[in-house]
Amino acid sequence: MIFAKSSAAPLARAQLAWLAALVFLSQLPLLPHVPLWTAAAGMALPAARLLLPADRWPSPRIRPWLLPLLALALAIAIRMRFGYLLSRDPCVAFLYVLVGIKFAETRSARDGGLLACLALFLLLTQFFYTQTIGAALITLPALLVLGGTLAALRDAPPPGADWRAPLVRTGRMIFQGIPVAAFLFILFPRLAGPLWGMPADAGARTGLSDRMAPGSISALTLSDEVAFRVDFQGPPPLPAERYWRGPVLSRFDGEAWTPLPWLRRGELAPRSAGQRIVEYDVTLEPQGRQWLFALEHPASMPQRAADGPPQSSGIDRAMLTAEQQLLSRTPPLQTVRYSQRSALGNGFPASGTLEARENLQLPPDRNPRTVAFAHELRERSASDRGFIAAVLQRFRTEPFVYTLSPPLLGGEPVDDFLFDGKRGFCEHYAGAFVVLLRAAGIPARVVTGYQGGEINPDGGYMIVRQSDAHAWAEALLDGVWQRFDPTAAVAPSRVERGLGAALPLGEPVPYLARVDMTWLKSLRLHWDAINYQWQRGVVGFNIERQRGLLRELGLDLGRPWEVVIVAATAITLWVAFVLGSARLRTRRADPAAELWARANRRLARAGLARAREEGPVAYTGRAAARWPRWRSLFASLGENYALLRYGPESARRDELLAALRANVAALPNVRTLRATV
Amino acid sequence: MSVAAKVASWPARWQQRIWRRSAADSGTVVLRHRRIYILPTRRGLALIATLATMLIASMNYALALGFALTFLVAGLVASALLQTYRSLAGLAISPLAAGEAFAGGELGFSLSLASSGGTARSIFVATAQGRSVRLDIDAGATQIVQLSAEATRRGRQALGRVTLWSDFPLGLWRAWAYVHFPLAGIVFPSPEAPAPPLPAGHEGSDARRSARAAEAELAGLRDYQLGDALNRIAWRAVARGAGWYSKQFDGAGGRGPLDLEWAALPPSLAAEARLSRLTAWILAAEREARAFGLEVPGLSLAPGQGAAHRRAALTALALFPAERVP
Repeated sequence: MIFAKSSAAPLARAQLAWLAALVFLSQLPLLPHVPLWTAAAGMALPAARLLLPADRWPSPRIRPWLLPLLALALAIAIRMRFGYLLSRDPCVAFLYVLVGIKFAETRSARDGGLLACLALFLLLTQFFYTQTIGAALITLPALLVLGGTLAALRDAPPPGADWRAPLVRTGRMIFQGIPVAAFLFILFPRLAGPLWGMPADAGARTGLSDRMAPGSISALTLSDEVAFRVDFQGPPPLPAERYWRGPVLSRFDGEAWTPLPWLRRGELAPRSAGQRIVEYDVTLEPQGRQWLFALEHPASMPQRAADGPPQSSGIDRAMLTAEQQLLSRTPPLQTVRYSQRSALGNGFPASGTLEARENLQLPPDRNPRTVAFAHELRERSASDRGFIAAVLQRFRTEPFVYTLSPPLLGGEPVDDFLFDGKRGFCEHYAGAFVVLLRAAGIPARVVTGYQGGEINPDGGYMIVRQSDAHAWAEALLDGVWQRFDPTAAVAPSRVERGLGAALPLGEPVPYLARVDMTWLKSLRLHWDAINYQWQRGVVGFNIERQRGLLRELGLDLGRPWEVVIVAATAITLWVAFVLGSARLRTRRADPAAELWARANRRLARAGLARAREEGPVAYTGRAAARWPRWRSLFASLGENYALLRYGPESARRDELLAALRANVAALPNVRTLRATV
Repeated sequence: MSVAAKVASWPARWQQRIWRRSAADSGTVVLRHRRIYILPTRRGLALIATLATMLIASMNYALALGFALTFLVAGLVASALLQTYRSLAGLAISPLAAGEAFAGGELGFSLSLASSGGTARSIFVATAQGRSVRLDIDAGATQIVQLSAEATRRGRQALGRVTLWSDFPLGLWRAWAYVHFPLAGIVFPSPEAPAPPLPAGHEGSDARRSARAAEAELAGLRDYQLGDALNRIAWRAVARGAGWYSKQFDGAGGRGPLDLEWAALPPSLAAEARLSRLTAWILAAEREARAFGLEVPGLSLAPGQGAAHRRAALTALALFPAERVP
């Protein structure tokens, strides 16, 4: 074999160290996304390989069996943990431990090459879970180490070799490759949808739930995570108008609220006079749910934003339920962006008599004190509206406390809350309010969603966070569903100024919901603006944005020959750039050699090539003999170059170089030389 | 050259340009894109396959950062391609010398490699026999590489096609180039071992040779070896039934020049065996610092001494045409 190299030779210590660094850096970003024991197993194996001396390892006779058995055992464990194996998350977990196992059994450079490939793929899998700026940055050191590892596998570095040099070299190569990467990133055709179906776990995120039990929303409000961002055309609505409608809960089992088990298609409410229409674009983070949030009440179906990510396709066929909730056809797996119009206002007509009956249901024999109180209060009130006003008045005047940490409720939670504890969060108020109304014979239901939103002065858009999650109520009065927010009765500032203003001092408030700490807040808002640009510009770069960009550049992917010409030109330019920049560096390195080479080229073209072993003085002597007219010029040329090249290092160097430059400039051109012979 | 002839020779010229099968390179060869081939190594293919998988995963899950990572590594691979190319491009190779060896030994060749341009290079130089030498050449430096080949049979042995290759810097690509210089070394016949002692020398002229032989003093007997001259056999011992011995003469007739003659060798000896024995004798004569003359069919070398003479004699034997055997 001409190209034989011993790739089966055992790995040197330095090669192993490079591989270990690569494995570590590829496993690191996945730590938050794999089960803890998987993470431990995947990282312990490489550590064991590195730390335990080779003779402590099992004998070579059992070693071939040990690691496959371990892999099998871990595969079974992962299967049991996830309930399935051939799906994205278990595959990632398995790949994670597989990289560790492969490292533990890597013995030759060939194994090492395979391991590097596995680690590179593992590096990609973190983007299934997060595509933030941080996730992008954390892969960069891993890329440098990948280059260092490949270089070390090619040629084992001697002990004590400088480990930074390969990193620098790889960095330079990555830098040179950036035009290629950018070109591919912009031009590579994007798909409008997935190649194959994706399992449902692909988008499981934190967010609202369709089951509201005491504590479910308050748990959510501790999170600063962004739920969605909104760009308004025109001025944003007032804080009290920012009700983002989510799941509507009509079923109550005495403790928890759930939606109706069936889905009814609804129609957009007719527009009434005096309603203000707002238009806006929502950038929704994936929540693993079909819900599309809109301000109450939607006046249009969502339209995929022109610059939206490709997987917004479920949005094109979105539907509206009879409860005026917008649903995407499939749960968005990625950030989606849609344009929406809403008619700000309170109230829309019910879709039928069925709704009234469905929203009167109460579990029998539960919360008896509440039911009795409602009956009594209804009798004292003149009308349904009067009753509702009396209930709200009661919330306002009785010592109800708005708190994130309510006391534990007993077997009859609504009774306990209304008459004993009187401390609760929005889900307690909304739930108790609806129970009271239903007990009084008024159809009512719980609406969940987000209330509020913070304008980011940096980008002029609104951020709605998980901490803005909220629950309110709706009552059917005179055939119209009207919104009532009992929380606002207890803590008006919750609606006006947000969670942080509404909670008593000393409550654990999420950082960004706090009213003070302005500098921190402004810092975080700047950061969010950067993130938003990142999400829209990089993560959201998709088929539509690609088309838009290419249209601006005057390029049409539909005409392949155009793409071919552009690609060919770009490749040529890039190759010329990379190879040429190296040549330029060389020229700068030794101007004397470059001048001498130029003189040699000219004389060679005139028919007098320098022999390989010929020195400068001998060569110019030959030239002087051939072209006696320029004898002195040739003599000076040879002498100057010889002095520069072989003479002592002296201060005259610059002078000599100038003289040489003058000599070369004075050389007659090829035609003259040829003619003179 | 007429157009027709040019067209007719086109395949041959292209085959030569691609494979460099004939030793048509002369002078200094500077490696340029016309000579340098480049293909991914096995590891490079594995990495490219990984990138393809990553691309499919990114497409399916619409991972913008997946695309970015995949293309960033693709850019690295593309950059490595150019770096690998650069590790050969601009390298100037000149033939220096071919050595001499006895058949069965190692024949040495030397080439000079000059690295012009600003790159330090890490390359391998491999002979057609598959022997590989690793070279690290600093930027702008010239280095001499010694290649060796197994000397198989006597005669001229060409260096053959030399492959220069490199997978610097990441081992993902392998660039290679062929150079084929008309560089050939001389392989002498392998000396016979153990060889019979040198034949008797003489003092100057042929006429006095037999007299000189008679004057030589009998030094002793030794076991007969196949091919010993008939007049050396100790016939008396044979007649006595004591076994076969050859007579050994002290000084074999003194310090005079030896005549190493093809014709004087036993007729039973094959041509190659004769060349081997003559080679061994030349070496023995050299060791004993004695002058010798060589007479083989078609060539006769006057007695002489010294390295040049020895070399001329050995070369004559090396290049002795087999069809000239009488």
